[in-house]
Amino acid sequence: MNERIEYWVKIPIGPIHPALEEPEKFIITLDGERIINVDVKLGYNLRGLEWIAMRRNWIQVLYLAERICGICSFSHNHTYARAVEEMAGIEVPERAEYIRVIVGELERIHSHLLNLGVVAHSIGYDTVLHLSWLAREKVMDILEDIGGNRVNYAGNMIGGVRRDITEKHKRAILDMIYYYRQEIMPKIEEIFLYDPTVEARLRDSGVIPKRIAIEYSAQGPTARGSGIKKDVRYNEKLGVYPDLGVKPVTPKEFTGVIKGDVFDRMVVRVGELWQSMEIIERALDQMPEGKIKAFPKDNMILFKLKKAEGEGIGRYEAPRGETIHYVRAEPGRDGPAKWKMREPTFPNLFAVARALVGEQLADVPVAIASIDPCLSCTDRVAVIDAETGRKRILTEVDLLKESIKKTKEINPNIKAKPEKIGIGRCIL
Amino acid sequence: MNILYATLGLIALYLYVSFASLLWEGLDRKLVARMQRRVGPPLLQPFYDFLKLMSKESIIPKHANKFYELAPVLALAVSIALLAYTPMGFAPLFATKGDVIVFIYLLTLIGFIRVLGAISSGSPYAQIGAQREMIILVSREIPMMLGLFTILWRLSHLGVEKPFSLATFYQRNIWELGTPLAFIGTFILLFVFLAWLASEIEVGFFDIPEAETEVAEGPMAEYSGRHLALFELSNALKMFVSASLVVAIFFPWGISAYVGLSGTPALIVDVLFHTLKVFIVLFISMSIFRAITGRLRITQAVQIFWLRLLPAAIIGSLILAIDLLGVIV
Repeated sequence: MNERIEYWVKIPIGPIHPALEEPEKFIITLDGERIINVDVKLGYNLRGLEWIAMRRNWIQVLYLAERICGICSFSHNHTYARAVEEMAGIEVPERAEYIRVIVGELERIHSHLLNLGVVAHSIGYDTVLHLSWLAREKVMDILEDIGGNRVNYAGNMIGGVRRDITEKHKRAILDMIYYYRQEIMPKIEEIFLYDPTVEARLRDSGVIPKRIAIEYSAQGPTARGSGIKKDVRYNEKLGVYPDLGVKPVTPKEFTGVIKGDVFDRMVVRVGELWQSMEIIERALDQMPEGKIKAFPKDNMILFKLKKAEGEGIGRYEAPRGETIHYVRAEPGRDGPAKWKMREPTFPNLFAVARALVGEQLADVPVAIASIDPCLSCTDRVAVIDAETGRKRILTEVDLLKESIKKTKEINPNIKAKPEKIGIGRCIL
Repeated sequence: MNILYATLGLIALYLYVSFASLLWEGLDRKLVARMQRRVGPPLLQPFYDFLKLMSKESIIPKHANKFYELAPVLALAVSIALLAYTPMGFAPLFATKGDVIVFIYLLTLIGFIRVLGAISSGSPYAQIGAQREMIILVSREIPMMLGLFTILWRLSHLGVEKPFSLATFYQRNIWELGTPLAFIGTFILLFVFLAWLASEIEVGFFDIPEAETEVAEGPMAEYSGRHLALFELSNALKMFVSASLVVAIFFPWGISAYVGLSGTPALIVDVLFHTLKVFIVLFISMSIFRAITGRLRITQAVQIFWLRLLPAAIIGSLILAIDLLGVIV
């Protein structure tokens, strides 16, 4: 009787699960409570953005880029604008660069506060969730003041920004920073650096060692939490960031050790909150007067870009990590011939899936939340029969047929003939 | 004992405790919401939830066996049976010799039935939740039983009618021992009991079997409609009963003797006062605990029980025993 009986359970976390905000699927094989395998399935979120972009003009794509993700909406159109500027050789006024820095850092504050809350929620510590999301309201109000919206504030334009930061905004931002420094940051630091529950749950869970982080090309706070000094703002000398003294934040400055676990990633986020506030203060100080757009009118940009030819790559350190946008222009086209973006979540997700093997089931939600996942991928619908396990892929035509059938069922008197939209037609 | 009196008393208790425990759930949600700077749901939200769930369709998984439907009914039946043995400001309805054993067994049986129902549902989440529930069940009972039996044994030396019965708590009071050692020992045991209560009703650190973000409500993952409503009610009853045990051991004072009442009015006043004490104990062990802590891993929770609470219970019991032997005065 030396045969070992193994009792494995496969648990699907996702596509719809209370721990996840977005559709993604982790099939977790468990031996008791210990994870022995993690299988990541992506692609529940078909939007076909790149395809839509090829049918829009350069400026309209800005708004599309913003809608890749609600949380880092400024980062994406900032990166896209940088890519286009590099391709066409457009000079951005200095004041515009400073405004980009300020709004980008405000966005970083709101994204990090959101993620600190989400991580606290995934360990069942809802009080922290409510604290940090309450604090987040303040920075959202400022963003609304500047951009007009709480989310998707449409601030960027190719060759500059659309809205200026006035004296009134400046005072409001300084007030906000004072409030955060006095009221919120001491509490956040106490919770995420010294609270016993948080330490018990976050320490030594989801450990991504430095070697694995490099192998899987982890980005953003995930990489910095593992001790890699990697920050596009610093490494690439992006825009006016070198004048503002930006440096990659590692947990070593706060706790003295680097383990690469969830705790370290949270410490990096707390450190970046401090850093962002400093950067905003310096940027408000040094901001020169001048114009905020390279071109006074939008159609001038379109005219210039219609003749442009070549490729451009934009890079920016979004709150979650490095975003890269690639654009290619063909002369005579209104919009991009090719637009491709890479999100930081993609490499981080596989790094964290690798790190979860050997840990406990309880670490899954918190480790996944700690990389701040944000998904924007493409897939087709697959219908699987639960009884036989047979798979059938539905194309657009099938879905349309089903939809017509259903409509006829509901209302048999309908006369109009639905037409196929999609491939080959513009849906603008 | 008059069978009519017992039946009517049980029904009245059932109705009263259902109301009180659901009311407490509403209060708890409101209080925790205020602690978290939220507005929170209306006070009567648990009642609305219960009524809504009762009117909803109950979906039964294809692979579930018969026990899936039976478990909620059994759990509620056990909770009601438990009420007959619960001290609520007066000696329990079915007070006999050694009813403590019945009480503990029935309390554990509710958890056991939850586990059986979860396993019969065939969902992997429920399976993991059931495993966790079993692990935490065997860990939490031992410190509690040790403390409970020590106190009963200590009280029986003071001369009570029925030693090892829950009515003992109303004849003698653990605080009336009076010596400093007894105070220290009782305080340690009170701490053990508050931690046990938190794990019995699964809040804060010990919200592990039903962890919402990990296993999607664990044992309750597949339950819906009427079946879920029955489970919710039986959980609410269990919460009240477990808190009643803590109140009966550590805070058994009545109020009727001071106001000078007797007969039925005294009974009612005592029950209301008992409910107030239960609410206060639950406020400490449930609302505050839920607001200031997160969930632990299952290994850490088991470590807390075996490496912290069990030694604490042993030390508390030893101090009480030393106090009785009179080695140190």
